[in-house]
Amino acid sequence: MNRTIAPAVNIADHITIPRTEELVLSNGIKVYAIPSNQGVIKIDFVFDAGKWFEQKNLVADFANKLMREGTKQKSSLAINEILDFYGCNLEEQAYFSNAGFQLYSLSRNIHQVLPLMKEMLTEAAFPESEFELLRSNRKEKHLQRLAKNDYLANRLFLSNMWGKTHPYGRVTELENFDEMRVTDVHDFFYQHYHAGNCFIILAGEYTDATIKQIDELFGAADWKKQPSTPILHQRSMGQTLIIHQEKENAVQTSLMVGNATITKTHPDFDELTIVNTLLGGYFGSRLMANIREEKGFTYGIYSSLSAYQHGAIFEVSADVGKEHKDATFHEIKKEMQRLQTELVDDEELQTVKNYMSGRILRSVDGALRYADVLKGLLLFNRTPESINNYMHAIQSIDANRIQELAQQHLQFDSMYKVSVG
Amino acid sequence: MCSIYIPTQQLSFYIRNPMNQIHTFTLENGLRVIIQEDFSTPLVVVNTLYQVGSRDEMPTQTGFAHLFEHFMFEGSVNIPEFDAPLEFSGGESNAFTTSDYTNYYNILPAQNIATALWLESDRMLSLAFEQESLNVQKRVVCEEFKEHYINQPYGDVWHKLSALAYKTHPYRWPTIGIDLSHVENATMEAVKAFFEKYYHPNNAVLAICGGIKKQEAEVAVRHWFSAIPSGKRVERAWPTEAPQAEARVLEVRADVPSNAIYKAYKMGKRTDSEYIALDLLRDAIAACDTAYLYLDLVKEKRWMSSITCYLTESLDEGLFVIEGKLMDGIAIQDVDEAIQLGIAKAVANLTENDLQKLKNKVETFWRFSETNLTNRAHNLAFFEMLSTASDYFDEFEKYNAQSLSTIKETAFRVFQNGKSNTLYYLKPITQ
Repeated sequence: MNRTIAPAVNIADHITIPRTEELVLSNGIKVYAIPSNQGVIKIDFVFDAGKWFEQKNLVADFANKLMREGTKQKSSLAINEILDFYGCNLEEQAYFSNAGFQLYSLSRNIHQVLPLMKEMLTEAAFPESEFELLRSNRKEKHLQRLAKNDYLANRLFLSNMWGKTHPYGRVTELENFDEMRVTDVHDFFYQHYHAGNCFIILAGEYTDATIKQIDELFGAADWKKQPSTPILHQRSMGQTLIIHQEKENAVQTSLMVGNATITKTHPDFDELTIVNTLLGGYFGSRLMANIREEKGFTYGIYSSLSAYQHGAIFEVSADVGKEHKDATFHEIKKEMQRLQTELVDDEELQTVKNYMSGRILRSVDGALRYADVLKGLLLFNRTPESINNYMHAIQSIDANRIQELAQQHLQFDSMYKVSVG
Repeated sequence: MCSIYIPTQQLSFYIRNPMNQIHTFTLENGLRVIIQEDFSTPLVVVNTLYQVGSRDEMPTQTGFAHLFEHFMFEGSVNIPEFDAPLEFSGGESNAFTTSDYTNYYNILPAQNIATALWLESDRMLSLAFEQESLNVQKRVVCEEFKEHYINQPYGDVWHKLSALAYKTHPYRWPTIGIDLSHVENATMEAVKAFFEKYYHPNNAVLAICGGIKKQEAEVAVRHWFSAIPSGKRVERAWPTEAPQAEARVLEVRADVPSNAIYKAYKMGKRTDSEYIALDLLRDAIAACDTAYLYLDLVKEKRWMSSITCYLTESLDEGLFVIEGKLMDGIAIQDVDEAIQLGIAKAVANLTENDLQKLKNKVETFWRFSETNLTNRAHNLAFFEMLSTASDYFDEFEKYNAQSLSTIKETAFRVFQNGKSNTLYYLKPITQ
């Protein structure tokens, strides 16, 4: 056996997307059901109820979190006792555009908790005491986060990039907690959480009875309203590109470099994700190889490309030894320029292509994981087949195109550079 | 890449699934192998567990097992880089170090399993041992140390708490190590000796799960691993921790945003039956929204902004830890007393119905984790390290079989004030 020779590798150029059933409930809600047979089920309720729609900071988040803290008939404790008794987990998330709930359950128990889910969605009561409790605990958590340099860096980064009135740049200030009233939260909830604003993804083991129950509960006419009207938000960019906040006792600096970049509807977007991966999107990336594996300045440095409904953000972030701050910025710039001036060699490009193909394969492995991917596709009006188009885009890109994209979209000098520590 | 295992609230085990069968065998060099076919996935996970952790370190060289884990990615005797070939095969890799063991895993398209076996077997055979790689990884680990344990509010809690709870056992230092100098002073000589002593087939378990036929996987494993020489059996000896005679309290002040309390009770080993009882009890004590301490201290009294609890899951005597943050102006001694009283009440009030709830919660967690290939491979290797891989199929039954009286007896035995180690982590005194 010759151990110096790598075994042959085979990369599939097409992947099998898990089967999805599409149903429409009596009131028009779309349900996407991804079957599997592992005895568990996850149901994702997605609403147009994110930060984009709020008039006051934090309201979207509080509306999302407080749904489970009391209905007209049941106290917070009564609700949580039922969920816990059946071993169910209910998770809440409010993002920039959408917000919603994920209900995890053993398949054999799901019918016990779906009526409660409907009750929360339609009769959430927003008790003043629960609101006050969440407010004081969130304030504490906010103060705890302000002690972290990476959190501070992210605030400066986003608020300068978008402006403090834009949902993407509107960072939490202590006074926001006191400006909010429970009625704001209540009103927001009933304005945005309803059948006219919702789709459902069901993944796991379910039966016809499950679907029938979902239609009876969530397909009813009693919670249908007009869809949320989109709000226009103006971006107001900060003029200062370089921002440093000194922390005397810090042993490390949290730094970020980036800008608002092309959105998912732009024809270059999918290909730009390949450039991003090459630069800093995986362990073998150029930033990791240079700044961690060669210089040892950091435990980890990554770049990312995050697409939202109304914008996209490219960013590089790392915590580096305080003495390495300037050198790290310099190396980030150098790596971006290298992508613009030198063609990537075949081996590195093929590694990134294969790595990304494998990552897509992992992301759609199993019904539960695929549900998250499908949600992302639906929010951007993409079809499941677009996954294979993406695979194809990855496998067919060449070095010239990579260079061209880097020249167009990775302009270090016009990016924001933030450091705290 | 490369992380420290921090005890979390997560359970890690699986329920019996009649569809799942495992194929196990031991190579002549002592490597124990577990293969689980799962054709519902196009992927395969190759998980290699070495039974060595920070408890095997010398007190003057702490953090070494974890630093070594980093070094395992720095090229092996015949292959200059670990990650690049794996990424080329469409895969990804990571590892973590605990007090007791070090776990490496690769996930990749099943048809490319040979790449992972080639890489793992070569680094089990021997490493590249390049001085420059070691120098860089020492710097990387120092930055990791700074990022998570120095430049973070409450970052040194585990340094304080483990030193309080253990006086002689090596659990008295955290996996990252006591301080930066231990990492900085690590030598290539020590790295080689560590490899020699712990990184050999008879101190390892290999678990493979995914879309591959067991016969094919066995042939491939034999091909890549059979020729690796076995090592000397690992003998472990360290001073046993003397039974704790009285409560210990430590007060520290640092620049943190709120006061925090950490209470660690000594408990048995991962393999002791009391582990199961205590793991079930977490959700009755503080780990969920209907737990006694959460209702009492966060919702009713509003003395705390958060509270939770977890087990350290260690091979030797472990800890049951309760931790939380206080609201401003609340006396920490009052909270401490309320926690002690609350645990007693939570246990005394526990009904058969509550116990069923605890079991249901565990079952859901178990079933969902089973759907994750990486978790499954890790757990098969973990249970094989403890005794036999197939034990993990029976693990949930152990939870299900717990009676109310056993749980209460266990709780009365464990939650004694004399066995508690309490850390008051306080913010600076303001004028």
